[in-house]
Amino acid sequence: MTIYRLLKHLLPMLLLSACATLATKPIDYRPGAVVNTLSTAVSLSIHTSDSGMSGSGYLVYRRPDQLHLVVLSPFGTTMMEAFAVGDRITLIYPSKSTAYVGGFDELPDKGGLQGWRMMRWVMDADPLEGQPLSGTVERSGKLGFSEKVTFENGLITSKESPTGDHVNYSRYSAINGVPVAMELDLRNIRDDRIRITLDEPEINTTLDDAVFVPRLDGLTIVPLSAIKGL
Amino acid sequence: MKVMKQAHVFFLLLLALLLSSSPCQARAISPVEGLEALRRGFAGISDFTAEITQEKRLSLMKRTMVMNGSLRFKKPDLFFMEINPPFSGRMLLHDNIIEQASGRDKPSSRIALPPEQGLKQWFLKLATPVTSLPDGVALQADLTNSVYTITITPPGKGQVKDISIVFLADGTVRRLVINEQNGDRATMILKKLRRNIGLTEKDFRLE
Repeated sequence: MTIYRLLKHLLPMLLLSACATLATKPIDYRPGAVVNTLSTAVSLSIHTSDSGMSGSGYLVYRRPDQLHLVVLSPFGTTMMEAFAVGDRITLIYPSKSTAYVGGFDELPDKGGLQGWRMMRWVMDADPLEGQPLSGTVERSGKLGFSEKVTFENGLITSKESPTGDHVNYSRYSAINGVPVAMELDLRNIRDDRIRITLDEPEINTTLDDAVFVPRLDGLTIVPLSAIKGL
Repeated sequence: MKVMKQAHVFFLLLLALLLSSSPCQARAISPVEGLEALRRGFAGISDFTAEITQEKRLSLMKRTMVMNGSLRFKKPDLFFMEINPPFSGRMLLHDNIIEQASGRDKPSSRIALPPEQGLKQWFLKLATPVTSLPDGVALQADLTNSVYTITITPPGKGQVKDISIVFLADGTVRRLVINEQNGDRATMILKKLRRNIGLTEKDFRLE
């Protein structure tokens, strides 16, 4: 009986705490406020069926399609840089003095590289205009294909593409009134997984154009199709 | 992100860090004497730990990232480094096997370097005294008020432009600075360095 009484009291507490972790904590954000530019330190991990890596770095993004990501080695040197503008992507590996340049459609299917193709889709995560509703809708995305989007209090918590790509947005924070998901978790149909955690992001600051232009001096330029993997 | 492809740079950085934790005599030194003093001093080290602060200056983005953590080393082939939250990264090098994990509850990645690039092999190379600089390597040594600064410039136009190690006469490392060809700079500041404290293999686990 004693155990029963204990369970009777503990169970509601457990259930309540579980609900608290499942629900997105409501935040105060400015209606209509969206991310136009983002610059942030990041922690990221990439895992595929045959490879994996993790590390820290820095991410800079400008709407709609400009992105620059730096991935650091454990000693703080630059391990890899990715520049994406429109349909073009440049991956720089300083240790090999090599830059892989091409279109997103040239990325190999294997090796965990398809995640880059998803990045523009992932960054398209504006909150709902109008009422902060919750629920799942199917809509035509800005990239021209349909997507299944789940909202909670007007904020996107997950998206799914027709090809099975999936992204979860969590740990929202309002920065200068702009809602920002501090954690992004991407999975594709091959079960490749990319997790990105933001740290101290700066929102909608002015960014120099030069930030999105790769420096290719002294590097060997190779077609993107020649890249083997991470 | 092919870590295997970065083995040479990786070990250059690792050895610079490990060697610079050894005691040196306070006197004017030539480049060869500087390297030899580092090598000789390291012979008295069986293990060490230190707290670290890493600063990464990103020239293109005009930003500086700051990370804190700790590292451990045990002869002949164990090296561990941990970065504290929010970046939360851990790396273990056991001879030629690199394991990395980004969080306590996350799976680790494992990469095997060629055996000849394992830690043991590099320390075997350090068994004999340094009598000349490696081919193509330039080295500058400076000693001011018991503070040594040694700057190593690797050959060619690889990623690393130069590496500077700043340490005291008793072997206490102040900092390691890596200048990259792209203008970025990585600085590792070591604090609370403790040597020969009897680390065991249990201190070198990712889990």
